[in-house]
Amino acid sequence: MITIALAKGRMQDDALALLARAGVCLNEDARNSRRLAIADESGKYRFVFVKPADVPVYVEHGIADCGVVGRDVLLESQADLLLPLDLAIARCRIVVAAADPEIMTRSLGMLRVATKYSRIAATHFGTRGIPVEIIQLSGSVELAPALGLSDLIVDLVETGRTLRENGLSVVEEIAESTGRLVVNRASYQLKSEPITALVKALGAVVNGEERA
Amino acid sequence: MRYYIGPEARLRRTIEDTAMSVFAAWSYEEVITPSVDYYDLFEQGMGQAEAQRGFRFTDNDGRLLALRPDVTSSVARMAATLLSERPRPLRFCYAAPVFRQQPQSHAEWRRENTQLGCELIGTNGHTADLEVLRLAAEILARLNLDSTYCITINNVEIFNGVAAHLNLADHAREELRRLIDTRETAELQRFLQSFANDEARAFLQPTQLTGKREVIRAAREVITNSRSLAALDSLEELWTALDAHGLAAQFEIDLSDVSSLDYYTGLSLKVFVHGAGTSVGRGGRYDGLTGNFGRAEPAVGFVLNLDALTEVLARRMTDV
Repeated sequence: MITIALAKGRMQDDALALLARAGVCLNEDARNSRRLAIADESGKYRFVFVKPADVPVYVEHGIADCGVVGRDVLLESQADLLLPLDLAIARCRIVVAAADPEIMTRSLGMLRVATKYSRIAATHFGTRGIPVEIIQLSGSVELAPALGLSDLIVDLVETGRTLRENGLSVVEEIAESTGRLVVNRASYQLKSEPITALVKALGAVVNGEERA
Repeated sequence: MRYYIGPEARLRRTIEDTAMSVFAAWSYEEVITPSVDYYDLFEQGMGQAEAQRGFRFTDNDGRLLALRPDVTSSVARMAATLLSERPRPLRFCYAAPVFRQQPQSHAEWRRENTQLGCELIGTNGHTADLEVLRLAAEILARLNLDSTYCITINNVEIFNGVAAHLNLADHAREELRRLIDTRETAELQRFLQSFANDEARAFLQPTQLTGKREVIRAAREVITNSRSLAALDSLEELWTALDAHGLAAQFEIDLSDVSSLDYYTGLSLKVFVHGAGTSVGRGGRYDGLTGNFGRAEPAVGFVLNLDALTEVLARRMTDV
């Protein structure tokens, strides 16, 4: 049996829809149930639903053989995983945003950056030699500049509406993020047949080659 | 940090004894190396990036010491200095703890791991490579892991040949290596668009990089540079020999195993066992290593992680 870890929330429905088109179906009852581990209809796959940041953890430890999670989470976790497919779902951008877009060029002192992505932020500013103080938050990051906690934020943006409504605008884009299929290194070798089949089937769906 | 008590400690001891008896049967002499040595030794032996994962501290006179992060460095130095007059080949084995700092929450989190390892120094060619591969297979079979383990083999010169042929700058070569290592096909495709030469297409099919002999055949269809082709020949020769020994079922060719290019110079191998989420062993050929200590000669070897094997086998015992 292949265990697939799925990130709960934003990406979950898109990921399940893709998997269904690749022939891995969860029936309605299972989907609506509140159990966190469920088998698919064929009994060949088991799904576990975990928080996005935990997907790389489950897969790296080999508890799940593969998973679906955003590139933002992968960049932040730096887990040692195989990333064979870009699933092109839940597309969004990781950006630097501020109330005053000029602040990056105007301020020569230490900038305060509030973010859920402390590693991505540290790397982004660090490689360009811009001194920043990273303030780690776990949600509602857009509040930080309005309340004076930080000068900048580094966060995920889909439409930009949340930013606008909180009086922020994008200063620069760090990276684009989409949902990725990740695979455990050991599983890739030890369960190569079913995993290769899954990668191929999903790859065909993503590239629009699926048979009608 | 980990305690082994009673039955678990016995199991761990049995695994160690099994491996050491197989090494002995193949005429490998046991060697015990210092647990504390000058940090320089490990930097010369492992390269800076790996050696820096060791725990470092200073001696009374201010010189930098380290708890050994590997055993191979010490054995290579010993072969090049103390034993420079001994007739070749040298065969050494060891069971010894090594110490490395690990990033928290990553799967390989232990600071202390005991390595069961061997080094075959002073002999070249696929007979030496075959010898250590058969040794690894025999140990795993004696541990009753038959049909639940898989050893992947590759020759890093296949990648090196392609990278040299593309004429890549260092950072681009590292980017190519990373994309192949993590099998990021879509990004790899984008990366390669800027090159007229399409040899690296060999790495574009993530599902065709791993397998049996057909992997080599597929790679030959796109790779034309002589360095990679020589490496493919040598890998195929090795595969034929493994096949002749009835080991083809337990081995896989994995052209995407390019994780330690600066260290290995030919064969590279990784050991996977059902029940362990990460590889439980690794090795390869490092002909450049002993040269760092004044006497360049071919060398090949591998290590198995005793703690990981104990965990897998202990879980299997309780499951039965």
